[in-house]
Amino acid sequence: MNAEPVYLDYAATTPVDPRVAEAMQACLTKDGFFANPASVHVKGRQSGLIVEQARTRLARLLGTRPECLIWTSGATESNNLAIQGAARARAHRGRHLITMPTEHKAVADTFKALEKQGYEVSWLRPAADGLLPVDKLGSAIRDDTQLVSVMHVNNETGVIQDVRAIGSLCRERGVLFHTDAAQSVGKLDVDLAEQPVDLLSLTAHKFYGPQGIGALYIREGLGGGISPLMYGGGQEKRLRPGTLPVHLAAGAGMAAAIALREMSANAQHLQAMRDRLWAGISDLPGLMRNGSAEATFAGILNVSAEGVEGESLMLGLEPVCVASGSACNATSGESSHVLRALGRSDRLAQSAVRFSFGFATTTGEIDLAIQRYRWAVNHLRAISPGSAAAS
Amino acid sequence: MNDSDPYNSTVRAFFVNPDHAGDLQGDYAEMLQAEASESDLGARVVLFAGIVDGNIAEMRFRAWGCPHLIAAAELLCENREKGPVSGLSTMDTGMLMQQLSVPVEKSGRMFLLEDALKLLWAQYSAAKQT
Repeated sequence: MNAEPVYLDYAATTPVDPRVAEAMQACLTKDGFFANPASVHVKGRQSGLIVEQARTRLARLLGTRPECLIWTSGATESNNLAIQGAARARAHRGRHLITMPTEHKAVADTFKALEKQGYEVSWLRPAADGLLPVDKLGSAIRDDTQLVSVMHVNNETGVIQDVRAIGSLCRERGVLFHTDAAQSVGKLDVDLAEQPVDLLSLTAHKFYGPQGIGALYIREGLGGGISPLMYGGGQEKRLRPGTLPVHLAAGAGMAAAIALREMSANAQHLQAMRDRLWAGISDLPGLMRNGSAEATFAGILNVSAEGVEGESLMLGLEPVCVASGSACNATSGESSHVLRALGRSDRLAQSAVRFSFGFATTTGEIDLAIQRYRWAVNHLRAISPGSAAAS
Repeated sequence: MNDSDPYNSTVRAFFVNPDHAGDLQGDYAEMLQAEASESDLGARVVLFAGIVDGNIAEMRFRAWGCPHLIAAAELLCENREKGPVSGLSTMDTGMLMQQLSVPVEKSGRMFLLEDALKLLWAQYSAAKQT
């Protein structure tokens, strides 16, 4: 394939903003802020200031205080620290936990690991639109429930959960509430001063920051705290030891500052791109949009098509880079656990494509995606046994 | 830069232009059709053959599956068409996988194609016996 790739997979990761790269560059070489921020000498103190400035920028984006943020390597680590850390710190009070099967594997697999350690997990299935009915959560909370974890924006469908209602209910019932906000921070307004959230995971590379750094928000005065997963130095309030990567923190901070300024304009752009794409393909017969059409993040469009196979659809879409609804695994052909939980058949889940957009997405790229998707669906249906005629 | 393309140029060409995809175009005295599918593998293939005077006058396929399966079905039809009907009796799956650089994990899908071909041959043989 010689054509220039068109990147529509921003929900997987985003390119680093050039302004972020510039901030990181200033931390890498001898004349820059490369020193260990835990060192007490002047170079170390300079690096320490860069790290704290970045923490402050991230805190501003989230509407919280810098002291509430712990640097991690990304959302996977943040999720593990929050969930395992909270569960272990509260094990003496109870071992019942609540989450959903539509969570990212970084959350779902952490809960599965806890199940093997003797914790009891209630897996609440969403409605067909992907949303968690809050009354269902109310019925699931027990006296021994210690933690509820529900993601903010789903990474596959873009469905936005009502974290305010979920968090309020948890607070009423005295249960900790964690949310994986990897897909929402930097793109949607996440004001922690207003949201009843106890623990929140994020990663910088989803909002034009570098890969390899994220953060965990821990509400001030969180009763019982959380237990660390690793031991070593005393960094990050002894919750996450290890030398802090100054350049990554600087990048994350700069990305947060840019997101705060430009979020509103970007949101409008994302919506225009998504609507243009959907308008260009929605007349194809047998097409289904996965997840709620209303409570959905504009940066993601997830579509299933009857009568087409996922891996072939991905090849037919080239040079458009998107995410498949299947694991695209030659051995298993495993389809998305998220779409299966929404009630999609295995075949429909397997045919799903997730388009995701960013600030650099152009109308020309969307038009190419429309053209390629239409061709691929019609082509595969024309080949397929017993399918409807191509349109 | 090598981006580890999972599809070789033959697979790509057959995927875009599967000349033998679809139903039989001609009207033949002997028309065969056989299907094999495996939902766990995410694959379904149907083979069609039009036989004239002991020769495969036309061979077609329909497939729901990965690009390797589509390309393999196309290659099989291309190779067998215009040949003797005995071509329906065997398929060198290993050779076909080699030609298309099919990863070994996808062997099951290739065997599905072999199954469909065997069914076609069984149909032909049964018709000859009656």
